[in-house]
Amino acid sequence: MAKSPQTPLSRTARLLDLVPYLSSHQGIELLTLAQDFDVSQSQMIADLTTLWMCGLPGYTPLELMDLSFDSGFVTIHNAETLARPRTLNDEESIALLLGLDLVIESLPQERTDLKTSAMELVGKLSARTSIPAKLSAIPAMPGSVRSLIESALLKKSALKIVYHSSYSDTISTRLVVPLELRVEGGHEYVWALCHSAHATRVFRLDRIQSAEVAPLPSAQPMDVAHAQGAMIPYTIRIHSRPREVMERFSLDKDSLDQDLQLTSYSREWIRRSVLASAGSVEIVGPDDLAQEVAAAARAILKEYIGK
Amino acid sequence: MSRKIERLINLTIALLATKRFITKSEIFRSVEGYEGSDETKERMFERDKDDLRNLGVVIEVGSFDPVFEDEAGYRIKPEGYELDLGSITGTQVALLSLAAEAWRGAALDGAAHSALTKLRSMGVESDLDSLPAIAPRLNTAHKDFQVITTAIAKRAQISFHYLTQTLLSQVRTIEPYAVATKNSYWYVAGLDVAKGQLRTFRLDRIDGQIRSIASETGFDIPEGFDVFDSLKSEASLNEAVLDIRKGKAQLLRSTALTITDLGEWDRITMNYLDASRLVDLVLWHGQDVLIISPKPLRDNIVARLNEIVELHG
Repeated sequence: MAKSPQTPLSRTARLLDLVPYLSSHQGIELLTLAQDFDVSQSQMIADLTTLWMCGLPGYTPLELMDLSFDSGFVTIHNAETLARPRTLNDEESIALLLGLDLVIESLPQERTDLKTSAMELVGKLSARTSIPAKLSAIPAMPGSVRSLIESALLKKSALKIVYHSSYSDTISTRLVVPLELRVEGGHEYVWALCHSAHATRVFRLDRIQSAEVAPLPSAQPMDVAHAQGAMIPYTIRIHSRPREVMERFSLDKDSLDQDLQLTSYSREWIRRSVLASAGSVEIVGPDDLAQEVAAAARAILKEYIGK
Repeated sequence: MSRKIERLINLTIALLATKRFITKSEIFRSVEGYEGSDETKERMFERDKDDLRNLGVVIEVGSFDPVFEDEAGYRIKPEGYELDLGSITGTQVALLSLAAEAWRGAALDGAAHSALTKLRSMGVESDLDSLPAIAPRLNTAHKDFQVITTAIAKRAQISFHYLTQTLLSQVRTIEPYAVATKNSYWYVAGLDVAKGQLRTFRLDRIDGQIRSIASETGFDIPEGFDVFDSLKSEASLNEAVLDIRKGKAQLLRSTALTITDLGEWDRITMNYLDASRLVDLVLWHGQDVLIISPKPLRDNIVARLNEIVELHG
């Protein structure tokens, strides 16, 4: 875990927050306390030792805070003045407000009781910040999907998912055993053994429409090699709108002024992506792929004639 | 370093504990750590006041005795110092924990963590069992995300390079009003200073650093400003009619305002913000989605298709 940076100010802030935390967690284990504040144990002992020297003017044992931590468990007394937690700063409020909005949007539709409860918090927090704007966070997927995947990963259990494939524009139900969660290009993906395809498959989380726990299927031989698929090499030339093309094909900004040799697992994805680039992208090779794109465009044009 | 920290803590305690304003000389006499010549003590105190202010501790300055115009006095009001969320339930603490947890590993992780520590100090037990199993996450938007949130809090302008459609990197300076996220993309909206108009920017299109510009004047954020409302009101000006083959194009169906059954096809109406994005999206769906109106868009898509045929023919 990354340790917090040390400046006199950040340490002062931590000490001010330590007092109320200890006051509400009397007898907490030193190790747990250090973890809760994201510092090493020796740093926590240094913090507690400093705190021990503080108190009300006079600074006799009657006025100083009374800390005990020799036993490995920490207690605090005579610290009433600082015993209440400090007010949230704007940064903390922004973090919580965005987080709360995400939670509200992620709660199941029918839990209006919880949504109301969370809205009440949003109201209270907003009233205590200087930020009059609404901070919105709309999740890309139902909140329960990730939670189910995370628990399936832990328990190595299976899930039945309803998945919308954007490549083929189809919805299918699949039995999967999640292997790994990964973030790529801002989107979350789950790598899973897919029993419907008898192979490992990658699913984008926000395309999973629903998920439920399912019994683990009996062991079946998995054709992992098949899952890799054959990579299709192709070459494109960019004619216009490089920003969209760059984002669509995940290209590097500094390499766009030449013909680009790329690969993909899916012919369908290449065809759709070139069509969706609306003339900004030309397939330079292979020829059969270029002809496939041209044929697709002609077929769409034919549909327009009748309309 | 410890001496300074001790002094700051002792000063906070003394100023919090006092009911009346206490003067500088009283502080120097009674608060431990103020040593040296008068001038040294003065300098120490001025710096300590600034430091506490930077930590968000509000020190009130008032007159000790208004009749005699005595020297200024200082105190910290507990109401301003303490976190007060009124009465709060265990379920609400659990909701706040979930909100903080959503930032794990992302931009505001540190702030969310310290907020959570304060919330857990309120002495209300978190009742996680009362919540359904959800695990919402916020992804990392831009390495300088905190520059934006700090600028919003401090009403400072920000400046950055933004990639245009043609990948030119343009300098934009805005008065940031709010950040928001939708479907894994992050947005910042605010007043574009050069254009004098409201603009929304996608964070992943910001090229390189985001800088905050210190300013004396500040600006006002419109009450209740909402990034998505502002985008929606722009979008509601444009309405398109599309034909979608039965069972196809879930993505577009989910944005439909109305759906009419035409047999093999469904006809939908929808709002759109960016015409070229809509054309791209419709083309992605190949023979399954056609634009019926507005006519310029329909003409445009036919022209684009002819271009594709020509390029590959």
